[in-house]
Amino acid sequence: MADKNHPINIEVGDGAAIPVKKDKGLVNAWSISFIGAIGCIIYLCMSDPDMYWEVLKFLPDGVLVTFQVTIASIILSLIIGLFTGLGRISENKIINTIASTYVEIVRGIPLLVQLFYIYYALGRFEFLQISELPSAIIAMGICYGAYMGEVFRAGIISIDKGQGEAARSLGFNKTQTMFMVILPQSWKTILPPVGNEFIALLKDSSLVSILAVADILRRGREYASVTFSYFEAYTMVALVYLVITLILSKAVSKMEERLNYYEGY
Amino acid sequence: MLKKSIMAVLILFMFVPSAFSKTVITVATDATWPPMEYINKDKAITGFNPELLAAMEKVSDIKFEIKNTAWDGIFAGLAAGKYDMVASSVSITEVRKKVMSFSDPYFEVKQGVITKKTVKIKSKADLEGKKAGAQIGTTGFLVTRKIKGVTMKSYDEIGLAVEDLFNGRIDAVVCDDAVAADYALTNEQYSKDLTLAFLLESDTPEYLGFAFKKGKSKDKLALVNEALKKVKASGEYDRIFKKWL
Repeated sequence: MADKNHPINIEVGDGAAIPVKKDKGLVNAWSISFIGAIGCIIYLCMSDPDMYWEVLKFLPDGVLVTFQVTIASIILSLIIGLFTGLGRISENKIINTIASTYVEIVRGIPLLVQLFYIYYALGRFEFLQISELPSAIIAMGICYGAYMGEVFRAGIISIDKGQGEAARSLGFNKTQTMFMVILPQSWKTILPPVGNEFIALLKDSSLVSILAVADILRRGREYASVTFSYFEAYTMVALVYLVITLILSKAVSKMEERLNYYEGY
Repeated sequence: MLKKSIMAVLILFMFVPSAFSKTVITVATDATWPPMEYINKDKAITGFNPELLAAMEKVSDIKFEIKNTAWDGIFAGLAAGKYDMVASSVSITEVRKKVMSFSDPYFEVKQGVITKKTVKIKSKADLEGKKAGAQIGTTGFLVTRKIKGVTMKSYDEIGLAVEDLFNGRIDAVVCDDAVAADYALTNEQYSKDLTLAFLLESDTPEYLGFAFKKGKSKDKLALVNEALKKVKASGEYDRIFKKWL
């Protein structure tokens, strides 16, 4: 920098935090799994189209059902989770007890049992009769809502008390403090475990096939039960689940990246 | 002296089992089909099939070891050699014959349609536009799937399908006639609401048989066929048939 015309030496430090996108390269755990899974599907379909391609053609409507169940129950469980989390830290004794009891009960009963109960057991009462897809979504939403509630609670607690106090002294009321100051900050803590729950939920959605919901797993089983090609059918089912899960995990990590953009993680 | 007696006992042990040796055949059954095979209140597998097997044991050197297995994957387990034989109301079909060997038929079966008493479904044509349920991979499922205009649901167990029908979420359940009759006519709870509406007529008679792994255990298959013949000849078969059906 220093020359005859400009004798002043300007020190350039790290400067302000200018976001630099880290290049993670092509070879990482995610891309290996994803390309591997896709490659496996393509290879199998090419090598034995009579078997694997036939299975794959049988699955798409099952994929659609799995998506429907997963997305609807993710939304439902997020809503339930948010309110449960807020209830669990509420100073109101009644709300707190209701939320805690919900978590204790739902967390203590296996999802499969809950599915059976909501669909077959409660189906005995006419006014509680819901068809299989909504039953599946409600059961999964209620179950995962309890887990999400715990994640939300932990995220909210993790925010320094001073943040709330500062907001209150600036004139925010309790609700505003929660939704405009605390929650936006806690989102960063909440997202990784919530993403984890998303993926667990997607995989557990295979349990809904017990309600005669034609999801990926049931489609595969129906194919296998007729053709007796169990190996081919279940291999394809596993690979399709893997591909979908990987796409979801990528979406979650993209969201995380955006949240952590300015911190260079 | 002691050594000698131990030796003698050991030798005795070596010979005794062979003298009374029985061919052990491991059997898989999906015990969710009353009255063909089901778990009774004492948690024992019972029904027409298990009793037939017991009768066959008496007249031959076979010892059956019955394992309760889920229907879904029962043939995969057979192919994988987890058991020798499937005795679970398996219909003998052409497709199944390609991947497994069958014993002589032991039972003629028709497909029965269960409906609610209030619903007017009296023939195949009435099923159009209706929701029907059956157990996954059963002949009931395969036959109904081919009927035009029927929305098909596959259940893990026939009992779940009947429960769904009872709760009013589907219009009909298709399964083996003996099973259908048991649910619709003799079951205390279901018989009030459900009825065996009609039998699906088929061009060719359908029979139940014991399934073996294709090309394997031919000697065991022969033993089973022989025992089956003896049971039928002695009239024991008719007694069991009357008792359960």
